[in-house]
Amino acid sequence: MDQPPDLFDAIVMAEERYHGEGYQEGYAEGSCLGLTEGRRHGVSHGANVGSEIGCYQGFAFTWKCLLSECTTEKDSKKRRMLDSLLGMMQKFPYADPTYAQLHEDLDRIRGKFKQVCSLLSVQPNFRVGPGRSALSF
Amino acid sequence: MKDSLVLLARVPAHPDSRCWFLAWNPAGTLLASCGGDRSIRIWGKEGDGWVCKSVLAEGHQRTVRKVAWSPCGNYLASASFDATTCIWKKNKDDFECVTTLEGHENEVKSVAWAPSGSLLATCSRDKSVWVWEVDEEDEYECVSVLNSHTQDVKHVIWHPNQELLASASYDDTVKLYREEEDDWVCFATLEGHESTVWSLSFDPSGQRLASCSDDRTVRIWRQYLPGNEQGVACSGSDPTWKCICTLSGFHSRTVYDVSWCHLTGALATACGDDAIRVFEEDPSSDPQQPSFSLTAHLPQAHSQDVNCVAWNPKEPGLLASCSDDGEMAFWKYQQPESL
Repeated sequence: MDQPPDLFDAIVMAEERYHGEGYQEGYAEGSCLGLTEGRRHGVSHGANVGSEIGCYQGFAFTWKCLLSECTTEKDSKKRRMLDSLLGMMQKFPYADPTYAQLHEDLDRIRGKFKQVCSLLSVQPNFRVGPGRSALSF
Repeated sequence: MKDSLVLLARVPAHPDSRCWFLAWNPAGTLLASCGGDRSIRIWGKEGDGWVCKSVLAEGHQRTVRKVAWSPCGNYLASASFDATTCIWKKNKDDFECVTTLEGHENEVKSVAWAPSGSLLATCSRDKSVWVWEVDEEDEYECVSVLNSHTQDVKHVIWHPNQELLASASYDDTVKLYREEEDDWVCFATLEGHESTVWSLSFDPSGQRLASCSDDRTVRIWRQYLPGNEQGVACSGSDPTWKCICTLSGFHSRTVYDVSWCHLTGALATACGDDAIRVFEEDPSSDPQQPSFSLTAHLPQAHSQDVNCVAWNPKEPGLLASCSDDGEMAFWKYQQPESL
């Protein structure tokens, strides 16, 4: 009859205690998994944006080289637009994922790219494989 | 109010199809219609009736959604669901397709010519608005691709005397654009409509803009320049456009089109409840908070949705309308004497 009273206490409180411990462990593991998942998502999304812009950049540089010998007024206008596109890509904040106007800037680059394609009379959706568009990012 | 809108003629413009849009030429002598049958028809008045002067059938593979005359009246632009815009040149009574503008990814929804005639705007389901420049040799060059809207862009119009462009979208907003250096930029977003904005119309002065929507209302927006007496805040040198009036409770379905008569100031609407309505501003109302009265209401103007209303630019009170039933109709509007 002289057992410590906190034995009953321990039994009564067991559920609550395990619940709390389980929560802590689960929380720690979940945070870790969430971080990994988020990171993977960010990496793949960032890579998509990067490859899209990289593609435009390669396109713009190539056309600038192709047009470098051409001297008509129209050609210089095309070059000016290519420079404007390249300038927008140069200013794009690649290292700042929290930049608030990321999507607006990306949309402006896409618009400029379409305008450049129209000026150059190039179809922007050059197909590489059957049924697959090379430029669907 | 009953006799204020009188039917003059009814024409099966695009039989067994939808008639989507009508456009008067600047002289007011020709009317262009377009429809789901992929054709454009040019109508002229002969005696008391309207006769088809030309059919422009070869040009588009799909529905022609909108047409627009150039300010000189010698060119017609047509926007089609086949993702292209055709430019037609008028030679006497014949029309020849001189250019096809490509670039939009899918359905082109609207086309509009700037008052100078040297700029053209198109918009599409691909969410973009394109501005094209025309040179002396009829060559069209894209000067800007604007990706400001987040959804399908339904309509584009130019300001009557400034190089200012307005677009209406499925994203419930209206956006305004102006030129900046080598490009065009969106400088204002007009928010207020609770659903798709279908069409836009400037008043004769260009100080006010009417927008109509799937939310069954028409909104009137007014331009406030920086430093205005009313104290409406502006950012930098750009004007602010503020909603000064909402016409609600009049329409029982989507309002598809709105047309502000540049001769009389009357405002006509085309509605999904098959009706045409005309509103007039109360002369005694405060210009900063105007009120409008319904002066004509024709419940069964067409047997299906009314898609478009267009005031003749030269003859006061002459209104043309068209509908999903494939017909177009001509109306004489008489302003009630009480106004």
